[in-house]
Amino acid sequence: MAREREPRPYTFYLLAGLMGLFLLFLYGPMLVIYVLSFQGPNGGVTFPMVGVSTQWFANIIKPGQVANIPASFERSIVLAIVVSLLTVVISVAAGLGFRRRFPGAGLLFYIAIASLVMPSLLVGFGIGLGFQMLGLPQGLYTSTLGAQLTWTLPFGLLTMFAVVARFNRSYEEAARDLGASAWQRLRYITIPLLLPGIIGVAVGAFTLSYDEYARTTLTIGSYNTLPLELYALVSSDSTPTLFAIGTVTTAVSFVLIGLTMFAVIRMQRRRRMLPT
Amino acid sequence: MDPRFDVELVGVSKRYGGAVAVDNISLRIPKASYCCLLGPSGCGKTSTLRMIAGHESISDGDVLINGANVTGLPPIKRGTAMMFQSYALFPHLSCIENVAFSLKMRGMAKAERLKKAREFLALVHMETFADRLPAQLSGGQQQRVALARALVSQPKVLLLDEPLSALDPFLRIRVREELKRLQRDLGISFIHVTHSQDEAMALADMMVVMQDGRIRQSGSPREVFGNPATSFVARFIGGHNVLQGAAGPVAVRADRCRLDAAGSGLPAQIAAVEYQGSIVRVALTTDAGEDASVLMPDSVYDADPVQAGARTHLVWAAEDERQLAA
Amino acid sequence: MASDTAAEITNSAYRPARPRVRVGPWAISWLEVSPLAIILVVLFAAPTVLFFVISFFDYDRVGIYPAFLWDNYRELLTTPATWRIYVSSLRFAVIVWAITLFVGFNIAHFLVFHIRSSTTRMVLFMLCAVPFWTSAIIRTIAWIPFLGRNGAFNTMLIDLHIVHQPLEFLLFSDFAVVITYVHLYTLLMIGPIANSLSKIDKSLLEAARDAGASRWQIMRNIIIPLGRTGITLGSILVFTQVMGDYFVVKRMSGGQSASIVSALSTEIQAMQYPPASASAVVLVLFVAFLVAGMMRIVDVRKELVS
Repeated sequence: MAREREPRPYTFYLLAGLMGLFLLFLYGPMLVIYVLSFQGPNGGVTFPMVGVSTQWFANIIKPGQVANIPASFERSIVLAIVVSLLTVVISVAAGLGFRRRFPGAGLLFYIAIASLVMPSLLVGFGIGLGFQMLGLPQGLYTSTLGAQLTWTLPFGLLTMFAVVARFNRSYEEAARDLGASAWQRLRYITIPLLLPGIIGVAVGAFTLSYDEYARTTLTIGSYNTLPLELYALVSSDSTPTLFAIGTVTTAVSFVLIGLTMFAVIRMQRRRRMLPT
Repeated sequence: MDPRFDVELVGVSKRYGGAVAVDNISLRIPKASYCCLLGPSGCGKTSTLRMIAGHESISDGDVLINGANVTGLPPIKRGTAMMFQSYALFPHLSCIENVAFSLKMRGMAKAERLKKAREFLALVHMETFADRLPAQLSGGQQQRVALARALVSQPKVLLLDEPLSALDPFLRIRVREELKRLQRDLGISFIHVTHSQDEAMALADMMVVMQDGRIRQSGSPREVFGNPATSFVARFIGGHNVLQGAAGPVAVRADRCRLDAAGSGLPAQIAAVEYQGSIVRVALTTDAGEDASVLMPDSVYDADPVQAGARTHLVWAAEDERQLAA
Repeated sequence: MASDTAAEITNSAYRPARPRVRVGPWAISWLEVSPLAIILVVLFAAPTVLFFVISFFDYDRVGIYPAFLWDNYRELLTTPATWRIYVSSLRFAVIVWAITLFVGFNIAHFLVFHIRSSTTRMVLFMLCAVPFWTSAIIRTIAWIPFLGRNGAFNTMLIDLHIVHQPLEFLLFSDFAVVITYVHLYTLLMIGPIANSLSKIDKSLLEAARDAGASRWQIMRNIIIPLGRTGITLGSILVFTQVMGDYFVVKRMSGGQSASIVSALSTEIQAMQYPPASASAVVLVLFVAFLVAGMMRIVDVRKELVS
């Protein structure tokens, strides 16, 4: 039911103005690089545009032209998927565990918070040192994966707190009453009901990993992830190629967000009656 | 200034987009009266209360309080105070700070406002809980604090939105006695929104029955119960059989009806017999397919008990029949 | 078929319960949190302890040697550069915190209390969040063509005849650093604050209005105190992000400032692990002190779980 227009207070217009300015601030510079990524062949990294071309996009995949972007992109995506899956499983389990009081709950919570607020580079530094002391080789799926998990897991845990707090335990009790085993309750009741939150954790962990720089840089093995490759490029390359990469990665993110939103909205539509 | 009425509504309407929640209602609430707005959910009673309070803009019409037109004034300028359905106690403030809140907003000095807040907590017997947070109180205690908070600004009219609905049945009866006593002692008007006819009957000096955004009937509970105006009112306040008479629907109080197996009343079949303690309720289905019931003292029932499924007749005296508007 | 199922049901219903080892309910919780606990202990707590230990070690150009020396700390804390860097980082953190708090709180307030349609609210929130999905490195360098001498902003100002000469202070300056931080981290304020504001029961605001509170009084007495969890959480996130920044200061200040972490990484690259560890420990203590101070205001854990 559409509400009749109540008169807006003047603060509404002030805040709407602030919101507009903020969005302009947020998107303005991004739009500039999207435009500049189509810079003509003789143009530089600032305006004016000297013609229009897609040559900077072509540069990304041309081997030898710039650092190996396609390979590092693939590595980043696969790593992000692994991180995201592990984060979901571990933080959902932990979120459910935290529903009861247990000895050590407070300590574990504060370790998680500490891991979240610890300057990222220091986490990488510590892990790098540890591997060196133990004489282990660093690698994408050992030290890097571990370093990223110290960042995505606390995030996943906090998200699960918010999700689990809204979860009504009587659904589980009802299922138990109807003879569902512990596993059946988890499989048919708890997980489906928590699914929107779980997707949130998955997407969040994916992006945190995909974009991770400071924890990764000291724990990486022989092959770079995309952010590391980009960082190297920022210092070495001064052509619009970087902007083209920015445009492509943004487009990838948009597709990802679009798909997630679509999935979540469809899911919510299917069970409107659920209290949020 | 017309000093005879605490609140007057003159042709008040509320529209949300295309939907009409309150449709051109007029009402006069006499000085120092306990008025209950009664009706099913969605009948517009809460919207009406919120328009009196100033929490909802008025689409059409005027609200007068103590003879002064307050339409468009903010809540605090109206001389009203509201007690919210779920009490809306500020969770971060102690009881006494909750009660002192409006005094603080007015800029009253701390010592003075705490002293006054303590007086009002004492009025509702909550002075020993002054420093507790709302979450540390039971539902009944929260209700008292909410009451004290509403009264501390010394309103001319207290507005109560379903104040008893969150309490358990036993407490509800005790609290409603206290509300009535408080209203009498303070000598101000209370406007109490409820969907429970028991509550309205027990409390009201003036009972206003609403349906679909309109007032269907208003008057003392005795007037309304003795002479329901429409079949909706008769059904909603309960205790009546609404039956099809020769000249349209009629209402007859269920306690004025009798059963007569051999008689010449309305033929019916007994659907159920409910023992309710001092009285027995016999539910019937007339041959015309209408539901009816008869309330009788258990002694009367025991003298001539009946079984579900038996045939009987529903009988009443002509003077107990009330003609209803269609 | 039907009778088979019935038989099965009967069977399973009457299967005698197998004797089991009774465990306390918290044992299940332990099992559920154990993967998290193991990972955080092995990959976060242990490495932290490790560099704490190494911070007391001796070192030379070839290697590091177990010892218990305070030299690394003494050297660190007696170098004026250390203090300069901490002061400069703290200054950035405070400025950015103040700006993001102001902007973040007001936008969260706007989204929660002024937007009536939940769809509009969702769309506006997504608009704020979408840039977060773009690489922070890209978002940082995006300011270069915008703020540069011949950048979009200067061009616009000149075209509008607001200035005649391009503004020089825009890029590679403290200004650029602050702008970039605000761009990167405001969402970290908006999210938690909007979350805690949306938990405020709207009838509380009406009750306050009923009691005669003005718009500003409602803000001060109701909204801010009840939103303090989000405010604290957002502040912690923004503060720690700025204090732990590696990239922005290095890239946007044009070499005029360094961040604590980028100075530290120089030592790491030189393989001077003990002094690097010592400055890591100091930074960790500093951040921990700040965060603990903020957490004193609010019991974040209690508010998150309940």
